[in-house]
Amino acid sequence: MVPAIVLMTIVLAYPLLYAAQISFSKFDLMTFGPGKWVAFDNYWKVMRDYRFWESMRVTLVYLAYSLPIQIVLGFGIAYLINAPWWGRSMVRATFIIPMVVAPVVAGGVWKMILDPLWGIANYFLGFFGLGPFNWFADPNLAMASIVIIDIWRWTPFVVLIATASLLSLPKDVFEAAKVDGANWWQTLFMVAIPLLVPVLAATFIVRWLGAVKMFDIVLASTVGGPGTSTVVVNLYIYEEAFRGLHFAESSAMAMIVLVLTMIVTAVLLAVSRKLEDIN
Amino acid sequence: MSTVAVRRNFPIGHYVRVVSSVIVSLLFLFPIFWMVLTSFKQQVDIFTVPPKLFFEPTFDSYIRYFQRSDIVGKLANTVIIASCSALLSIVVGSMAGYALARIKLKGANAFGVIILLSRGVPPIALAVPIFLVARKYGLTDKHITLIIAYATFLIPYVMWLMRGFFLSLPRELEEAALIDGCSRFGAFIRIIVPLSMPGLISTFIFSMILSWEELLFALVLTNREATTIPVAIAGIAGDTDTGANWGALTAVGTATVIPVVIFALFIQKWLIQGLADGTTK
Repeated sequence: MVPAIVLMTIVLAYPLLYAAQISFSKFDLMTFGPGKWVAFDNYWKVMRDYRFWESMRVTLVYLAYSLPIQIVLGFGIAYLINAPWWGRSMVRATFIIPMVVAPVVAGGVWKMILDPLWGIANYFLGFFGLGPFNWFADPNLAMASIVIIDIWRWTPFVVLIATASLLSLPKDVFEAAKVDGANWWQTLFMVAIPLLVPVLAATFIVRWLGAVKMFDIVLASTVGGPGTSTVVVNLYIYEEAFRGLHFAESSAMAMIVLVLTMIVTAVLLAVSRKLEDIN
Repeated sequence: MSTVAVRRNFPIGHYVRVVSSVIVSLLFLFPIFWMVLTSFKQQVDIFTVPPKLFFEPTFDSYIRYFQRSDIVGKLANTVIIASCSALLSIVVGSMAGYALARIKLKGANAFGVIILLSRGVPPIALAVPIFLVARKYGLTDKHITLIIAYATFLIPYVMWLMRGFFLSLPRELEEAALIDGCSRFGAFIRIIVPLSMPGLISTFIFSMILSWEELLFALVLTNREATTIPVAIAGIAGDTDTGANWGALTAVGTATVIPVVIFALFIQKWLIQGLADGTTK
């Protein structure tokens, strides 16, 4: 049993240590491995690379829209679903489906749906007098497309967590609120949300860990365009490494992203613990 | 009882919730519906304004793309790689999970945090070094490379899921076996594994789904022989030189998604737990 744990640590730690070594070395294209030790040279180079910062900004914008919308929408939809009736479990099960569609398929299919000429999205929006939108030609709309696809793929996951947690809320508290004459909004903000804080925080963290890995959907839909408006950081590192063959710089970038992710995750975990304690 | 109470108290609100939940779920299903529908269209029915809802269905797209040997080959690769990597991670991950659940180790709690953090490791940070190592030993474009690479990210999930499962089993069972002279490993194989079959099978399916859908490692570590379906789909979706090939995209997409959906519906609860576990306890 212990060997399994050791093996696992090695399997996970070894590539990371190797990546760290590459990030501190000059990359030797002859041996295709780390060459001379250059300390922080690659890191300084990356720091001065405006395209890296641009990809970080793009990633932040994507996260800033995608995560909160998914959480709010997910819990909102869960509230609708939890209305008791005979078809409830069927409606709930339909939300499993988008969740297991391969992200690359999701990206490709949405690319088809949002197509400016033949896509069905513009056709529907036309009924409401909207559009036609050239989804993938405008930087803001392209970002919106990415966020929409991501929301479609991941909100169902939040919905499924939320339905269970909403059902487990203590009923007597809500009845007490009603007796005290609280209206629907007061009940939501003063009773439901405070009770849900631990679940909200945990869901947010799980989604955060998934969302920082954003890659497939972008690759299958916008491929980062137009220009660099949807080049998320993972796509930029990928292209630098495997198209530009800048392995040392891309390893340095991957290390920066790794460390930042760990720091933010640790902060989020600490905050969620605090929030739980307050309750 | 409670149903009656709710209806009496909020008659309108209740129906609004029911109706809107149905509408929202249909909205979320629509892209899948549209993909499946498009896969049965002929080229002339795909590119129309307005988009066609009724048409003469045909298997043309399926026949055309599944006759091309490369798609079938990639599908076979995907099946091989997904099942082998799931099997490997089940074997290693369940043993490690058992160790975490039963054997008192110093720092077992710290290990839990490490597993959680391992999910935060950006795959690209692993893809670069794994690619370089694989290239050094001439292991690129081989099934085994992808199998091991997938196992690296599957094992933490399996460990954590199975740890939870093992914790729910009563200790007395193995203790009896240990007293009867069984080794720790023997007790695990003879007593724990048979009892854990439902959990192991669900975790196996869960792991298979994750590697079935993986794109980045497949893109980086393979180029022809061992390529998987997600790479093919990324290629079809990104290929705009010959015009959008929606027939191919939707036919291959449907064939990729349908088996996963069927399996996922069987392991619903486990799937959600698998993806959420670690933080929601």
